[in-house]
Amino acid sequence: MENKHITIFHGPQHPGITGNMSIELDLLGETIQKATTHVGYLHRGFEKLIERRTVIQAFTIVCRICVPEPDPNEANFAMAVEELAGLEVTPRAQYIRVMVLELSRLAAQFLWMAGQSGSIGLYAVGQWAIADRDRILDLFEELTGARVYHMYIYPGGVRRDLPKDFLQRVSELLEYMKKRLNDYDDIFINNASFKNRAIGVGVISKEEAIANGYVGQVLRGCGVKADVRKDAPYLVYSELEFEVPTQTAGDVYARALVRRAEMDQSLHILEQVVAKMPEGEVMIKMPTHRKFKLPKDDTWVKVESARGEFAYYMAGDGSEKIRRMQVRGPSLVHAYTLLEDLLVGAELSDVALIMNSLGICPPEIER
Amino acid sequence: MEHNGFIQEQKTLEGDLNSETSHRNSVDYLMNWFRKQSIFVLAYGTGCGAIEMPPTFTSRYDAERLGIRGAATPRQADVIIVSGYCSYKTLRRIIRTYEQMSNPKYVLALGSCTVNGGMYWDSYNTIKKLEDYLPVDMYVNGCMPRPESILEGFIALQKEIGAGKATAWQKYEDNYEFYRKNQEAVLGKKVEPAYDTDWYLYDGGHNV
Amino acid sequence: MFNKIKSHFATDDIEVKREDLYKVTIKRDRLFELITMLRNEFDYKTLNAITCTDWIEEGHFALSYMLTTLDRKHTFMVQTMINRENASMKTLSHACKQAQIMERDLHEMYGIDFIGNKNLKELSLENWVHTPPLRREFDTLEFVNNTLTFREGREDNVDTKVEMKRLRALKKAAKKAKEDAKAKELEDGK
Repeated sequence: MENKHITIFHGPQHPGITGNMSIELDLLGETIQKATTHVGYLHRGFEKLIERRTVIQAFTIVCRICVPEPDPNEANFAMAVEELAGLEVTPRAQYIRVMVLELSRLAAQFLWMAGQSGSIGLYAVGQWAIADRDRILDLFEELTGARVYHMYIYPGGVRRDLPKDFLQRVSELLEYMKKRLNDYDDIFINNASFKNRAIGVGVISKEEAIANGYVGQVLRGCGVKADVRKDAPYLVYSELEFEVPTQTAGDVYARALVRRAEMDQSLHILEQVVAKMPEGEVMIKMPTHRKFKLPKDDTWVKVESARGEFAYYMAGDGSEKIRRMQVRGPSLVHAYTLLEDLLVGAELSDVALIMNSLGICPPEIER
Repeated sequence: MEHNGFIQEQKTLEGDLNSETSHRNSVDYLMNWFRKQSIFVLAYGTGCGAIEMPPTFTSRYDAERLGIRGAATPRQADVIIVSGYCSYKTLRRIIRTYEQMSNPKYVLALGSCTVNGGMYWDSYNTIKKLEDYLPVDMYVNGCMPRPESILEGFIALQKEIGAGKATAWQKYEDNYEFYRKNQEAVLGKKVEPAYDTDWYLYDGGHNV
Repeated sequence: MFNKIKSHFATDDIEVKREDLYKVTIKRDRLFELITMLRNEFDYKTLNAITCTDWIEEGHFALSYMLTTLDRKHTFMVQTMINRENASMKTLSHACKQAQIMERDLHEMYGIDFIGNKNLKELSLENWVHTPPLRREFDTLEFVNNTLTFREGREDNVDTKVEMKRLRALKKAAKKAKEDAKAKELEDGK
C-alpha cells in the first residue's frame, strides 16, 4: 500500500513548538521530504522603534527582544553604548552583571529542560524544572523588582546595589541546586527512553557547522570548543575559572549532555563571583537623559547567551537618538539554514525534539 | 465611600460580579456551574505572555486545582489567551482559531499591549486595541502579569461565567459585520490566511 | 596583514576598534575580492552577519559584512556604501549558505535587491505594500495614526503640560499672596 503525500503546517497554534513560529512540512507518510520555516508572527519592528528613542528610552524595551532570556540583550546594549560613548564600568558593577547573566543562563537552561522533556512526553521533568526556575526568579524579583523583564543592566553600571544579605541567599540557592541537579540526571539525562529517542537524531557534521556559522551548543555538540566567554572575553570572565564542555557525536543527546555540563559550570562561576565580589560603587556619573549624545561611530559587541553567541551592531550619529541597532541572535541561522536541512528525512514526531534541541527562539529572529 | 480613578474602577468592575441572579432557571445555573469549574485553555502562546503561562499551569502556582488545563485543539478548548501584543500575521491566525472554537468560548486578554498598544504603541506591525477585532471577556494587565494576577483573572472570569455574564461569543455573532469591517480594514479583504493546498487530495492538490 | 590589504586595495581606511575587532571601508566593486582574500589567506572563514545602516543625509546605505576567524578570536567588519535609489548588490549565498537568509531580511526591510539570491520572499511581514519599513523616510508613528485607532482616554483626562502650568500658576499666586500679606503686616506694625 502506498504512502500518501500531505502538506501540513506544524503551525503557530501547536503545543510542540518553541515559541510562535510555524514550519510547513511536505510529508510522504510520516517522513519529511521538504521543510519551509515561517516566522514573522512576533514582528514588532524593534529596530525601527529604537531609532525613535534616546538611550534611556530604548533601554526599557531592549530586554523584550528575547523572551525566555532577556539579560544578554541588556548586557549587549549596555556594552555597545559604553563602547561608543567611552565609559568605564566599576569592578563591582561588572561582577554583579556576571552574576545576573549566569543566573539568567541557569534559568534558561531549566526552561530548555522543560521544553525538551515535554516534547518526548516526560511531563514530570517539566513540572520540576519550571518550579526550580521559579526559585531563581524569586532572587531576581528581590534584586530588580520584576520576575521576567528586569531592566537592570544600564549603560554605566547596574541600576541599584545588592540588597542586604543577598549573597547569602544566592549561596543557599547554589547549595540546593548542586544537590537537585543530580535528581535531573536520574529522571531525564540518563533516562532510557530519552536516550532511545535522542541518540542518532538530528546529526550535524563539524565542517558544516563551522562553515555555515552555527553557534552555541550546535558547535559544542560537534566537538568545537567555541565560547565567547573564552574566545573574546568580556566583563570579568578573564578573571574567572571555568571550562567549556564539548561532545563529539553532534546529535540531540550530545547537545543535551553539553547543556547539562554547562549548568554545572554556571554554578561553579557563581560560587567564584559570590566569593570575589568587590566593594565600591555600582553606577558611574552619567550625562543627563536628553544630552547623552552618541558619537558618529559603529561597533559590534557579543555575549554568550544560553543558546549561543548573541551579537549587536550599534551605530550612533552624533545626536541623542540611536541611529541603528541590529540584533543578530543565534536563532536566525539555526531556524532557516540548519532546520530546513536537518528536517529532510526526519520523522514527523521528531520535529519538536529537534526544534527544542537547537534552541530556536522566534522573537529574536524577527525582532 | 467615593474613591477616585483606579480604585473606583476596580470596584465597579468587581461590584456586580457577586450577584448571581442573572440566570433564568436552575438548569442554567447548573450549566454555568459546570462550565466555570472546567476551563480548557488553548495551547497557543501568541506573544510575550507565553513565558508566564508555564509557571501558572505547573506545580508552584497550580492552576489545575481550579479545573484549568490545557487543550491542544481549538475544537475542544474554552478559552483562548491572547498573551500580549498581536502582530497582523498573528491576528489572522487568532481570528481563524477563534472562529474554529465551539460555543461557549471566552477570550482572556493578558498584558497591557491588548489594552492600548502597550510599549509598542508606535509600532507599524501590531494592533493597538484588541476589542475592535475580537470580543474580550476579561483583561489582565501588567507587563508581565504575575502568575497570581493571571489566576485572579481566571477567578474573575469564573465568576462572570457563573453569573451568566460572559457572553462575548454571542456579541461576536450578533455584531459580526462590525468586527469583520475592522478586521478587513487592517488585514485586507482576505482575512483568512492563504492555505492553498487541499490535504485530503492524494498529492496535496499540486497536480489536480 | 593590514599592509597587504592597504597595498592591494589602495585604501588607508583600516581601523582597530578593539583588540578583537577590525573595520575596513572599501569600494563596492572590490568588496568580493576582499572577502575572498580574507577567507582564503587570513583564515576569516565564517560569515556572522550582514547589516545595513541608512544614512539618508548622505544618500547611501552602509552595508557591513562581519567575518570571524576559525578560532573565533578576531572579527573583521567590511563596510561598503551602496546607492539608496535602486539599491542592489551581488549575493554572497554561493560562498556562504547563511547569507541567503540575512540578505532576505535586508531585502524586506530596506528594499535592497540581492542579485542571484534564490529566495527573496517576505520574511516577517505579510502582504506589505508600503515602503520598506526600516528606510528613514518611513515614519512609523504617522503610519500608525493613519491606519489604527487608539482607545479613548478617561473623561477626567487632562493634558499634562496644561495641568502642570495651571498648578504652577496657582503656586505662584499663593506665594505672592503670602508675601503681600507679610509686607502689609510689616507696614501695619510700623
